[in-house]
Amino acid sequence: MIGDPVVELTRVYHASAAHRLAHPALSDAANASVYGACARPHGHNYYIEVTVAGRPDPVTGMAVDLAALDAAVDRAVISRVDHQTLEAVPELAGVITTGESLARAFWRLLAPELPEAALTRVTVVETAKNRFEYEGGAR
Amino acid sequence: MSGERARSTRRFAFAAGHRYWVDGWPAAENERVFGRLTVPHGHNYTLDVTIEGPIDPRTGMVIDLAELKRVVTEAVVARFDHADLNADAAFQGRVPTTENIAVAVWELLAPKLGADRLVQVRVWEDPTLYVEYRGGAR
Repeated sequence: MIGDPVVELTRVYHASAAHRLAHPALSDAANASVYGACARPHGHNYYIEVTVAGRPDPVTGMAVDLAALDAAVDRAVISRVDHQTLEAVPELAGVITTGESLARAFWRLLAPELPEAALTRVTVVETAKNRFEYEGGAR
Repeated sequence: MSGERARSTRRFAFAAGHRYWVDGWPAAENERVFGRLTVPHGHNYTLDVTIEGPIDPRTGMVIDLAELKRVVTEAVVARFDHADLNADAAFQGRVPTTENIAVAVWELLAPKLGADRLVQVRVWEDPTLYVEYRGGAR
């Protein structure tokens, strides 16, 4: 093998929050038509998985400072959304809080808090049936 | 139809002890960098091994899962289950972090399964932390 191994480390975080899916420009009836039951205020036990890539340090064996990662995720995301109504969170203004849009919004909040290019994926697990992944770009 | 590729993943488990400790450092330096991780403790590790290859047109299988189970059990589970990872030859001069365990598991399995078939190992330290390694370096 040439060079040092590159691993991906994923940490699973949790937040409970209320939300509803509704476009502000649409009537209640139109939102109910578009989003169905999701247009009603409700909530989830969200699991937020943060994946970072790195080379295990040849001495410490650590690719990531886990304490720093935990602190960054708590500061940028968890402390802002846990036990909140997502539509009332200032950092989520304008976001229709689907799982995929939350994953993108959390990426944008978190990426500046982490070392350059370390963040590789943000996954929002809304329920055991719904999982949304965002890797930071278009293609 | 032949040559269609697919992935098969089988899950394994082992319980092992470890601590974060660099032998060349004084105790105070280990404690400053690793904190409570310097105290010997253990985890119920979960290991997901992913194989990729063509679906055999006769058997319908990417790999015989019984073969995968035998290889991983012999090479990894039997070695690490109820073991002190710091005492294992794979971790001499290498701290048994989750990152390094994933790399060590890959190194144990790749020669036996083939680096062309083995595409990923995922080591879960607990339900909130896992590391994936796909053999890459830079």
